[in-house]
Amino acid sequence: MTAPAAPSTADDPGSPPANAAGRSRADARGLSFGESGGWCGIGAGAQVRVLTARSVRAFVADRRLLVVSLIEPLVMLTAFGQVLSGLAHAPGFPAGVRYLDFLLPALLLTTALQSGVQAGTGLVDDLRGGLLTRLRTMPVQPVAVLVARSLDGLVRGTLRLVILLTLARCVFGHRPTGGAVGLAAAVALCLAVGWSLGWVFIALACWIDRAEPLHAAAGLVMFPLMFASDAFVPVAGLPEWLRWIARANPVTYGIDAARDLSLTGTAGPGVLAAVITGLAVATLMIPLAVRGLARPR
Amino acid sequence: MNAIEAVGLGRRFGAVAALDGVDLAVPAGSVLGLLGHNGAGKSTLVHVLATLLRPTSGTARVAGHDVVRQAARVRRSIGVTGQQATLDLTMSGRDNLLLVARLLGAGRRQARARADHLLDLFGLAAAADRPARTYSGGMRRRLDLAATLVRRPEVLFLDEPGTGLDPVSRLDLWDMVRQLTGTGTTVVLTTQHLEEADRLADAIVVLAGGRIIASGSPADLKARVGRRTATVQLSTDPDADAAETALRRADLRPVRDGRTLTTALTRDSDLTAVVRALDAAAVEPDRLTVAEPGLDEVYLALTARTEAR
Repeated sequence: MTAPAAPSTADDPGSPPANAAGRSRADARGLSFGESGGWCGIGAGAQVRVLTARSVRAFVADRRLLVVSLIEPLVMLTAFGQVLSGLAHAPGFPAGVRYLDFLLPALLLTTALQSGVQAGTGLVDDLRGGLLTRLRTMPVQPVAVLVARSLDGLVRGTLRLVILLTLARCVFGHRPTGGAVGLAAAVALCLAVGWSLGWVFIALACWIDRAEPLHAAAGLVMFPLMFASDAFVPVAGLPEWLRWIARANPVTYGIDAARDLSLTGTAGPGVLAAVITGLAVATLMIPLAVRGLARPR
Repeated sequence: MNAIEAVGLGRRFGAVAALDGVDLAVPAGSVLGLLGHNGAGKSTLVHVLATLLRPTSGTARVAGHDVVRQAARVRRSIGVTGQQATLDLTMSGRDNLLLVARLLGAGRRQARARADHLLDLFGLAAAADRPARTYSGGMRRRLDLAATLVRRPEVLFLDEPGTGLDPVSRLDLWDMVRQLTGTGTTVVLTTQHLEEADRLADAIVVLAGGRIIASGSPADLKARVGRRTATVQLSTDPDADAAETALRRADLRPVRDGRTLTTALTRDSDLTAVVRALDAAAVEPDRLTVAEPGLDEVYLALTARTEAR
């Protein structure tokens, strides 16, 4: 066995580690650990903070993503607000309400829900890229990784909602009858419900862990959630069989409550129902997601 | 004290036993080399010990903690560098190191200083602020190692660490492994580079089909399986003829290739016998060399034996 000149052999460990190729890195050779002695992990809250900051920074640094986030609400407003405006004449439509004002709470919730899909996609990227494998060998709790992704989704969602509302107001003349306070409350509710229901997509990502099938599955879940609800027409305007699904759909609760808030400015019992169904879904999905993340791959 | 102890460790994937009753005892501060073909169970063993996979049978303790019941404790003491880079490639090399340092408990300033040191040490300072996806394969490997060495792991797992590294970086890595064991870190490395195992490992475990088929120090294994050979180089054909006859008469079964004769030294006295036979035939060899068995031979002999079974 011919060996290249080795830096030092096993029988003389005391000799200074010579640099193999005589490169100038010789002085940097010394592996030292400095003050890292006590570093053996941080609390779960701090883990969430560090990981969330990292994801948010990545989002801010990604110009293309920011531009898409700006354009998407414009397209949504145009597509749904203009094309579907004839639906204002559908049976059961509340009298005296502009279609845009009726639609906007639904768009708010859809957009907030989309953040869950984004969180799932980011998670799949981390899984594929291998970062999660490293985190799983470190003193980092899987649930902290997931919560950080969901919070990052919340930050992105908030930004997108602000953009959506600004465009609706400036370009399409959106003036909800519930006033600014009602609208702010509707936004907060949509973010809360969107965050909770977003765990469905995070759980999907943990089990599917590939971007393409994840998007297909997310679409499969998203479509019935949106269309089998009162997002675009009141439940009364739906065919009989769809009404049953719409009444069981947690999205319907969220939209109902957001609509109440933005149109009347008062919180009905719907708000509580929306928050409770949302939290119920999250409570169900979080352990499922953690299990999916921890499973061997 | 043993840094790693495993008893009857097994891992099944459906009907396949990737790991089948592995016992290990690795003393603290030593280097264990895991050898074996692809699919022999090396990576599975590393994954189980590093808490990435739950064993389906048996138990293992790493740094004094059970890998299943005290996985969180184990994770506080280990470092793992796998075959694939485990990084966020969209972030810069520096940001990757900062993230790891912060998650381990470094303050902002401390993390920054630590990242600087490691980037320097691994020759990545010039590329520190570029996204890691623009790095070459070797640079990614080095960044990955740097991330693993943000703090001193009590037990370090290196899954085929030499793969993708240029020869200089590989020597640097060996160097670093020795420095680490000098500070008390226990290292487990899987490798297909026998030279790597030979140079670094205090003990070697050869895996095949999820089982340990041989273990011992590199020297033990070589002595057990390999054979020393003597090679005699002659300057003329008549000399070569005479030497061949002499060796054959002495029952040394030489193999001739031109003016070179090779003979296996099966008994301790065989080397002296070679010299005596040459002396008796009055031939003066140009060169007489004795080769120790390589780990290659050991490995091939051992794995061939299990395949024949």
